[in-house]
Amino acid sequence: MKKILLAFVILFSFQLSIAQNSNEKLSITFKDETLENAIKRIETATSYKFYFDPTWVNSNKELISGVYTDAKIDDVLNSILSKTDLNYIVLKNKVILTLNSTIHDTLPSNYFTDAPVETTNQNNGNDHSDNPVFYQQYDSLNSYSVTKKASIIFIGKENKDSVKKNYTVSGTVRNEETGKAEQNIYIKVRGKSINTSSDLDGNYTLQLPRGINVIEVKSLSHKEVVRTLMVYDDGKFDIGINERSNQLDEVVIKKKGQKTTETTVSGLVSIDIEGIKNVPLILGERDILKVATTFPGIKTTGEGSAGFNVRGGKDDQNLILLDNAVLYNPQHFLGFFSAINPYTAKKADIYKGSIPADFGGRLSSVFDITTKNGNPEKFSGEGAIGPITSNLTLSTPIQKNKSSIIFGGRATYSDWILKSLDDENLKNSQAGFYDGILKYNNQINASNNLEATAYYSHDRFSLSSDSIYKYSNRLASLKWDHTFSKKSKAALIFTNSEYKFNIDYDSNDINSFDFGYKVNESQLQLKLNYQLNPKHTLSYGIASKLYNISPGYQHPKKPEATLISTDIEKERALESAIYLADSYKFSDKLLIDLGLRYSYYASLGEADVNSYQAGLPLSDETVTGTTHYGKNEVIKTYGGLEPRLAARYFITEDFSIKAGYDVTRQYIHLLSSNVTQSPTDTWKLSDSNVKPQTAQQVSLGLFKTLKDEEYEVSLEGYYKKSKNILDYKVGAQLLLNQNVETELLQGEGKAYGVELLLKKTTGRLNGWIGYTYSRTLIKLDSQFSSEIVNNGNFFPANFDKPHDLSAILNYKFTKRYSLSSNFLYQTGRPITYPIGTFQYGNSEYTLYSDRNAYRIPDYIRLDIGLNIEGNHKIKKLAHSFWNISIYNVLGRNNPYSIYFVTDQNGKVKGYKTSIFSIPVPSITYNFKF
Amino acid sequence: MKNYKLYSILFLFSAFILNSCTETYPLLTNTYEEALVVETTITNELKIQEIKLTKSARFEDEKYLPESGAEVYITDNSGNRYDFEDQSDKYVSTAAFQAVPGTQYQLHINTKDGRSFESSPEILSTVTPMQSVKAAIEKDKDDKRGVGIRVNSFDSGNKSHYYRYEYEETYKVIAPKWVRTKAVINANGALTFIENDPNTRICYGNKKNTNLLLLSTTDLKEDRVDYLVRFISDQDYIITTRYSILVKQYVESLAAFNYYSTLKKTSGSASILSPTQPGIVLGNLKSIKNTNDKIIGYFDVASVSIERIYFNYADLFLGEAPPPFYTDCQEFCYADYPFSPDPCTHSGGFYDDLMMDKISYYLNGRFYYWVNTPCGDCTTIASNVKPTFWVD
Repeated sequence: MKKILLAFVILFSFQLSIAQNSNEKLSITFKDETLENAIKRIETATSYKFYFDPTWVNSNKELISGVYTDAKIDDVLNSILSKTDLNYIVLKNKVILTLNSTIHDTLPSNYFTDAPVETTNQNNGNDHSDNPVFYQQYDSLNSYSVTKKASIIFIGKENKDSVKKNYTVSGTVRNEETGKAEQNIYIKVRGKSINTSSDLDGNYTLQLPRGINVIEVKSLSHKEVVRTLMVYDDGKFDIGINERSNQLDEVVIKKKGQKTTETTVSGLVSIDIEGIKNVPLILGERDILKVATTFPGIKTTGEGSAGFNVRGGKDDQNLILLDNAVLYNPQHFLGFFSAINPYTAKKADIYKGSIPADFGGRLSSVFDITTKNGNPEKFSGEGAIGPITSNLTLSTPIQKNKSSIIFGGRATYSDWILKSLDDENLKNSQAGFYDGILKYNNQINASNNLEATAYYSHDRFSLSSDSIYKYSNRLASLKWDHTFSKKSKAALIFTNSEYKFNIDYDSNDINSFDFGYKVNESQLQLKLNYQLNPKHTLSYGIASKLYNISPGYQHPKKPEATLISTDIEKERALESAIYLADSYKFSDKLLIDLGLRYSYYASLGEADVNSYQAGLPLSDETVTGTTHYGKNEVIKTYGGLEPRLAARYFITEDFSIKAGYDVTRQYIHLLSSNVTQSPTDTWKLSDSNVKPQTAQQVSLGLFKTLKDEEYEVSLEGYYKKSKNILDYKVGAQLLLNQNVETELLQGEGKAYGVELLLKKTTGRLNGWIGYTYSRTLIKLDSQFSSEIVNNGNFFPANFDKPHDLSAILNYKFTKRYSLSSNFLYQTGRPITYPIGTFQYGNSEYTLYSDRNAYRIPDYIRLDIGLNIEGNHKIKKLAHSFWNISIYNVLGRNNPYSIYFVTDQNGKVKGYKTSIFSIPVPSITYNFKF
Repeated sequence: MKNYKLYSILFLFSAFILNSCTETYPLLTNTYEEALVVETTITNELKIQEIKLTKSARFEDEKYLPESGAEVYITDNSGNRYDFEDQSDKYVSTAAFQAVPGTQYQLHINTKDGRSFESSPEILSTVTPMQSVKAAIEKDKDDKRGVGIRVNSFDSGNKSHYYRYEYEETYKVIAPKWVRTKAVINANGALTFIENDPNTRICYGNKKNTNLLLLSTTDLKEDRVDYLVRFISDQDYIITTRYSILVKQYVESLAAFNYYSTLKKTSGSASILSPTQPGIVLGNLKSIKNTNDKIIGYFDVASVSIERIYFNYADLFLGEAPPPFYTDCQEFCYADYPFSPDPCTHSGGFYDDLMMDKISYYLNGRFYYWVNTPCGDCTTIASNVKPTFWVD
């Protein structure tokens, strides 16, 4: 109706030669009148007749007041229609009202492109009539694919006096069915490089040019929405979206949210969990952390090592957060599988540099992993059956469209297989793990949201029949988001994490024992966000964390044991921080994030602290005395400023340069005498004898998007220096050591590198290729010879692998079939090489080179995966998905480790171990309902 | 073993063929750097003290060369100097001396090619004598029976804590099939019989421990030692007749103990999934001229306690059959099929085997009967020189 009328009006206006009757004057007084009444009164008072769609007028609830004496009709109409979206035209004694559009009584001089453009009227600056916007120009080639069906949404009222080029259109993205605000929905303007994405509350803002803008709303989990907007002025436009019933899209490794060229953070890797489902992985297990290691700058020491090395950082320098709570051991079964359930995880943001000021406590990186919210509408689920584990995720609304719960669980069936074996040795072996996560969320109202997560993971393995190793993670997180106003928001977060391990040594020996370790931390955190003005967005907050560590106990299991029952004194500390950050939009091109964090650490009693003789290496023999500190008495404090600076400058619209500088401090250290992280490594708090670690990093990056963001290229460089990096004397005794500080060395670290990433986000062929050249060096020097390694010179760290090339490529043949591949090349890691032998006692021993002076052979691996989606019938029980993978297709015998053993005849022999030395096929069945 | 199991588990995990393998890895030899190896323990026993200096070797080298011609001496903080002289394979003190408590000793070495090393000052560890060394029947962790040699020691002062042991075992070997007659091939290539040397019947075998034997009592309620120094299976021929073991207990300082245990750790079979950091184990010795000169070893000043015990097989295993001999001593003869009646298990002729000393004459019947050489001549597996200390 509206459209027909409008079309009529426009055609009508073009065909008639128009003369305005502006002579008739009127005097009229309105007092709290509706627009409809006002129009009626004008009609009765004058000869003017109004033509309009009554719904336009009725929808205007604004009451009109005003006194007009001898006023022109134009003045009266301007006044009473000023607060509406209505325009008008006066044709003799007819007044035609139009919604949004203006009726033009003249065509612009440049409307017909071959017509000479009049340039005489230059001084009339307010006159925009030379470029009015018509949403359907029948007489010219239509450059916009506005289909007949597409309805046009008008934003603002056309205003002839407007001078602005761009208008602000904002609104909220909501799920049409649930009414829930949807965050991280990508909104793009077709044919223009304008885009944004919705924030946490579903709000978005776009700067749009005058005229027609075709908006595309894209998200993996929602149906695409295309809307045509006619922008006349600033305005509001809410977007309704619907979930996809089946997610059968191609693998889109598309970073949702802001473009990489646009953010200030340079060292950020964002992993969209749904996007990794096709990446071929070992034994068919989807694994977020393994995918993370395919990006430049994130490495592991090798297959089967539990830790990560980010930009030359040690294993313990990564803050791994699952829904804001620290996950101490993110790996199952010695690092072969990730402890993070890939079916409940939503996304992972990994900060390799430019760590925002609200994160702290670890030197090298932040792995910020968030869990999905439950489906607020209906009961749904997802699962997978693989060769090692099975997996089930269930989600149900509690209060429809308001609160929901999601549960994810995984377990292995390896124990069952082991038990059913005839082999005596294997029958007594155990190896198994499980993990479970539960998340509750409640959108209490528009300004309050509550989320709660509980997570537990458990591992158990026994490699010799008399000892059983167990370790578990437990964490809980509670988050309350509150919106004070559109500009001011707050989040109050409480988290608690616990990691413990236990060795149950049960043998015929009278000294069978139970050994255990536990670390527990609780944190309360308040995060605030305030948008001071369009240029400044402040975020600030405070956090405080209490650590409780039981560094170890060893309890004999039999009463007749001669073994002493040992309990190492508990450690306790409080780590607090306050931060303030300002995201300052200096200009359209330059954005600066200025962050400042101050962290303060206090080591607390109750404890007996050793003091050592000055000028001598710390050892049991140089203890001069012990000071007793009472409960919660402060033993030692450390603290310092941690500036975090990041800046982005747009060189061109799709090419930016970013720089960052950050300082980080770490007060908790992982004690590991091994080359790689193992589950029985213990965390130790800083105290008067163990200083906190600090690091400084400078980074510089170039970011470019090509072909309408189809390709992303980035080149980043960094240089990092760290202090008080923990290392150990050769053969250190770290477990159950009362004076563990006597085994530790604290040295300097130095790391630098260049990272190149090429990403193709869409299309049949998509994926990424990353290359890193990096070096990581350590220096252990001291005045005492027992604390010097390699004569006190810098030497390569265990995880120093200069060249690292990863390529993950997916090719989609049809909607149902896709092939993915994963190629990896790495320089072999350094080892300390045996260079000869020597005789000592009555035995032969190996003479080693300087530490890490040689390297093991390079690592090369190719994996291939075939993904088959189930049929596309809409009515079916469950949507299914098969993944067939082959790990190490090349069958290359990649060395996991090379080690040297003095055999029974006293001869030194070298051995090379490979874990997966032939192609390993696996098949996984995934389903969703 | 551990690794095998882990891989087996992984094997099952995959439910497919999963081949994780450990294979030998060739050692590079172009990386050699020579190091001086110092081995010494100066004790509280008054005697000619010894210091052994050797050179490290390349993998392909057959033996270890001594570091000869060096100037070696020990000084103490009372101004004494104890000189050592080069005695082909070791350096010995020019006079007998003993380490005394409370005195600091320091070792100095100047090699003939100009390298200089010295130790940090060391003091004698706590003197804690062994209470007893006993042999008794016991079972090992695999439930196999044998003789356990256990050391008992107790430091009521709770100061010793770190112990290192050495043993040297000596056992009497009697060739079970020794006969008065010996068959030899004479110069003309003919079989002749001569009178057998009676000194080939009884011998004395001798072995030292090869591994470092270390014990720490820090995790025990008391500084009390009950340590299994040696376990001999009841099937081991060395206990067949009479056996003797000399046990030395050294009380070590923590630093020395750490040095030895680290050395032991770096040479042992490492757990594959968590290998320990290998490297040069730094002791208390260092180069004073050039830090790149490598030195290995520990200048150990430790109290020692020595004890020797004897036992006879019959004392412990009353009325039981002795364990099998070093090798199978069933007599056999040579014959060719089909003329090979039992016990002629060997085919061909005895001539070559006799020439190579593989067999020894036993008796004459329908055939010549032979036994494996050690059964008739113990000198092939032990020495026929009776040790001076031996008491029958």
